[in-house]
Amino acid sequence: MLKKIIDEVKSLSIGYYILAVIAAAGLSVAGYRLYAGLGTTTNLSKAFPWGVWISFDLSTVAFSGGAFTLAALVYVFHLHELHSAVRPTVLVGLIGYASVLLILFMDLGRWDRFYHFLIYPNLNSALFEVSWCIMLYSTILIYELSPVLLKNSRWSGAIKIIEKWTIPMVIAGVTLSTLHQSSLGTLFIVMSPRLHALWHSMLLPVFFLISSLAAGLAMVIAGAILSYWIFKRTLAENVQAELAWFIPWILSIYLVLKVGELEITDELHLLFSSGKYSTLYLTELALLVVPLILFAIKRVRHSRGWSLTGAAFVLAGVVLNRFNASWFAIKPVAGEMYSPSWMEVAILIGVLATAVLAYSLIAHYFPLFEETVPVERPPKRQPSLAQTGD
Amino acid sequence: MSETTSNGNEYGFLIDASRCIDCRACLVACSVENEVPMETTRIWIQETGVQGEFPNLARFSAPYHCMHCDDPSCVSACTVGALQKGDDGIVTYDQDRCIGCRYCMYACPFQVPNYEWKEQLPLIVKCDMCVSRLSDGHSIPACAATCPTDAIIFGKKSDMLAEAHRRIDQNPGKFMNHVYGETENGGTATFYISPVPFAELGFPAADEASPAYFNRLVTHGTPTVAGAVAVGLSSVYLTIKHHAEATAQGVGAAHGQNQAGPNEAEGAVVGTAVPQNPDLPQAAQGQEA
Ligand code: SF4
Ligand code: SF4
Ligand code: SF4
Repeated sequence: MLKKIIDEVKSLSIGYYILAVIAAAGLSVAGYRLYAGLGTTTNLSKAFPWGVWISFDLSTVAFSGGAFTLAALVYVFHLHELHSAVRPTVLVGLIGYASVLLILFMDLGRWDRFYHFLIYPNLNSALFEVSWCIMLYSTILIYELSPVLLKNSRWSGAIKIIEKWTIPMVIAGVTLSTLHQSSLGTLFIVMSPRLHALWHSMLLPVFFLISSLAAGLAMVIAGAILSYWIFKRTLAENVQAELAWFIPWILSIYLVLKVGELEITDELHLLFSSGKYSTLYLTELALLVVPLILFAIKRVRHSRGWSLTGAAFVLAGVVLNRFNASWFAIKPVAGEMYSPSWMEVAILIGVLATAVLAYSLIAHYFPLFEETVPVERPPKRQPSLAQTGD
Repeated sequence: MSETTSNGNEYGFLIDASRCIDCRACLVACSVENEVPMETTRIWIQETGVQGEFPNLARFSAPYHCMHCDDPSCVSACTVGALQKGDDGIVTYDQDRCIGCRYCMYACPFQVPNYEWKEQLPLIVKCDMCVSRLSDGHSIPACAATCPTDAIIFGKKSDMLAEAHRRIDQNPGKFMNHVYGETENGGTATFYISPVPFAELGFPAADEASPAYFNRLVTHGTPTVAGAVAVGLSSVYLTIKHHAEATAQGVGAAHGQNQAGPNEAEGAVVGTAVPQNPDLPQAAQGQEA
């Protein structure tokens, strides 16, 4: 058994080793951060008590939005032809949330009391709600993924029971996602004195929710195309094209709401008169208008290269939005600005490397890109799946 | 717009910028009383810098600490309810509860909460009106007790506000006609009067409505939204399932089963039963490349 594992590890390609080294380095810095405290390791200050970690969390949660969007489309709206995309997406979601939880833990000054949110509720706090939803939703993602992990194992008998409860769990999961995706926007409502008016809005929860739908789908598409190149396994082209079909609709609603809200609250003039903030906001809009146009074209939806380009624009636009809301568009106090320390960045890179490593290993060893029911696999694929048998 | 209504028992401060001589005795007193180092003290000085032309130079300053808002944003924001507003008007901090998320620091419109950045396991630093001193019934907060010019006075909140207006009314031209803290952030328990505009002292121009109010508008809707989403999803699921079963027997019922396979039709057709294609191994498709 042990020998088999060692042989297996030896057979992995160099890419895995590089990722493992980066992950180990980053996680050691994380260990130092927990020991030394926030002041010595980060550039956070009284004027900027939140930094790049929070921006990362917001972006990653949005990216992981694919899991609930797809679950809703497949199970609730019965678009069963999209089913083959569910597993890889749920895995991306799960790994995304795990990274967020890890970084949130780093961000807690009193990480030794992280469990306090479980026992001391403040129902008015958006952050309280977000914490609960992320915790519950992560368990649901594990549940949704468990058939993949259990298949080919001696507990495969449990899969039947697990799948029986899929629908209620999916509905609970989509509900929880709706709540926390939007609550991440609510987080900034109370920060109106600090957040620039172009971003601050009572509709922030709606904006965050809708943009997470687009980001989630873009992530599914980008993931499918990348794994087509890396793992030689991917979604059927039509599935990918159908997912892409939703993106222009979602982005149109999002952009109309966002600009419309500025018009209604009489803030449209800020769009061109706020200097650096105008540039940031207009860039954000531009990054989303491009994929809106791209994905409206049928040829783009059916081309891997173009779809990846479109998805990259969506992701960039949503990342910029999250970074703006939590960092770039926070007005400085007495001219004091924030930029992250090298340790903040190193920890982020370490967590990202860990996430990519985990995804690759699971994609390598588990039947991620297949359907729930066993399908005839070409014999070539067998060796890599043999590991869980004994 | 405020959730808290006055019960007449709240404490309050009146701080008179025309009396402050920037001696910083209040900072020392607070530091000693609450055993916090000077660099993370709960009170500090805001000042105008030197104004005017020689020889008519002037410089104004005022001590600055938690305003003890009527509807505090920090209390609304705190993840674990470590910040609470008491009947006495004091916004207290429970240092055994705080998880150090620092949301309160961003939520406070006055940038009051400070953080022990140097500590390994840091806590928030925030004025609590010296609540432990007050319990004996006659002591007043250390900063107010120490101030040599009575620039900080302490008492019943309503008395402090009345005194602020009395000083403005009885000294025409001496003060700006604005009691800072009366309406800021939905009203606070700390009132300032000043001979110069508060912006020159570096005080933030807070809105009249507390952001905490807008925050509650949304967070109080959460259970409703959750219920609506869950019910909505369930009914969509059941409706489509029923429809699919009625039109094409068998399809759609076996959710979670393998029905994928590439769909010939392009685009999304909501609610249409999908033709059950023979299973096409995804792995095999990947290998075509
Ligand atoms: S001034 Fe800031 S810290 Fe003090 S009660 Fe108001 S919101 Fe809270
Ligand atoms: S840092 Fe502490 S007091 Fe401030 S919001 Fe977080 S848990 Fe509450
Ligand atoms: S009331 Fe007490 S805690 Fe608050 S600033 Fe004055 S001395 Fe410090």
